[in-house]
Amino acid sequence: MKLFKAPYVVQKEILDNMQTSDLFWLSFVSKKIKNVIKSSQATRFKSIRSIVYDYVDQDQRIIYIPSESGRDVIMVTFVIYKGKENHFLLNKYDKKIDFKCLSCDCPSIMSFNFCNKESVYKSIHYNFLDFFGDCVEYQWIINRYTSFFPQVKKLSLVLDFWRYEDNKAAKQELENVLSSSPLMTHIKLSYLGSAETLSPESKFYKAGSVEIRQGNHIFPANLRHFQGRQALLRCNICETLHLIELINRWKYGQAFQKLEYLKIIIDSHNVPENQVLNSIGIKYIDATKKPPAHTLPKLYFDFRLKPNTDPIISHSYVVRKTDNRVASVSIHRNELSFGVWDKTEEEFLSIVE
Amino acid sequence: MSSTEQGTSSAAPAEPTTAPESAAAPEVPESFYYVHGKDKVVHKVSAGALQHSALIHGMISNLGYTEEQAKANPFPFENIDGDILQMVVDWCNQHKGKPTPPEDTNLPKQKEKLFDLVLAVNYLEIKELLTYCCKQVAMMVKGKSPEEIREIWMIPTDAEDEAAEKEAKKRAGKEAAGETAAAAGDAK
Repeated sequence: MKLFKAPYVVQKEILDNMQTSDLFWLSFVSKKIKNVIKSSQATRFKSIRSIVYDYVDQDQRIIYIPSESGRDVIMVTFVIYKGKENHFLLNKYDKKIDFKCLSCDCPSIMSFNFCNKESVYKSIHYNFLDFFGDCVEYQWIINRYTSFFPQVKKLSLVLDFWRYEDNKAAKQELENVLSSSPLMTHIKLSYLGSAETLSPESKFYKAGSVEIRQGNHIFPANLRHFQGRQALLRCNICETLHLIELINRWKYGQAFQKLEYLKIIIDSHNVPENQVLNSIGIKYIDATKKPPAHTLPKLYFDFRLKPNTDPIISHSYVVRKTDNRVASVSIHRNELSFGVWDKTEEEFLSIVE
Repeated sequence: MSSTEQGTSSAAPAEPTTAPESAAAPEVPESFYYVHGKDKVVHKVSAGALQHSALIHGMISNLGYTEEQAKANPFPFENIDGDILQMVVDWCNQHKGKPTPPEDTNLPKQKEKLFDLVLAVNYLEIKELLTYCCKQVAMMVKGKSPEEIREIWMIPTDAEDEAAEKEAKKRAGKEAAGETAAAAGDAK
């Protein structure tokens, strides 16, 4: 069966029916097939939001493309410390990296010597950049135990930090990881103790998005100085005054200049809707009209969750004093959602149906 | 079920077999057309079944043939092997007037046959069948290493591509030189 004997339309139809991970491996067969893939699959590649280098353990990573239907695994890599290797060559320009192909049935499982870790991941990354382009966000996940990441361009860091014991030590460990790394695209933080607050200068506050899960009330300690765009806070207890303070600080331009989306979920009690809304000078869209839905692509797309923020459809909104920008506010039982529009009040009201 | 059963097909102009009647036969008598491949075996196919093929449908839509005219003028598809055309006709009959299922498991398992079917179906413009076939072709290389894929799809190496390109350039150069010389000869 000669693939190139088929007309282009057939070649495209075959490639359209392949998974993206299989196309990546096919691209190593020849330059010609690689060019055919890149030209025929340009639309598909444009729709890839991110490629994630996720960790399994200290020595093993799983690299995949997240999607709403799950994840398309491109390869699983792991470090070996001894043993003879069979070689598969991954080319990056004139540089060749040797991998051990563990199974002929599954070429995407690879291992390499510990000493080559940096250069191997560099090679993989540059192959991705060459094949998928630099509009894709490449996200490398680190945690407490695996803080290694390769020094390459176009690589965003995601921190998955959890700790259940000893608050002071946890805080220090978190600060250590953050201070030794570039700014994070996303931080997922679980169970940092309520008594501990981070330094206002902490890189934690500079992350693009944060997701905090915590037993006791910490607010506003872990959000007070947040400078990023998206935040999700889930805690057990939260004082109403703190919620009001947060929104008012945004409203008066004192903080959260880049904030686009905030969701707070309180597990132990409902948010007192009237008290909060009355204290932030809420405004309302005409009750007979349909409010627009506020939703955004998440900065970090976890394939187990939805790719976009939950839509906020609310008649309630606040206006920022400094630039007249609008934020939709929704309070429902134990959840407060806050979505900032890229619109002034006048522009916002003009899109209300 | 095929409209042309084994043993009853023959080279034109032998009498072709008839497609089975649909359970819910339309009141207006259905028109039939005739096709043959490289082996000249003629297949009688209903217009309804042929609707799957955009190429044939386009050809017959304005013909207004009588039964005799259609029989006397089978559509020749000399570029399609007889057994492949048989598969196509069978598929069109099986899916006549029915919604096409999301998958088709009755496609040939041998890669050469499947690939010939892909080329035929593409030529005849049968979109759904092309999609099924291409899905199956794509599945052949799932989880395979680049070298295995090269073998299955017979993809030349970069060196072979470069050599072929060089050869093509050389040939084109020679042809161009030949044409120039011929033109100069004509001018004299």
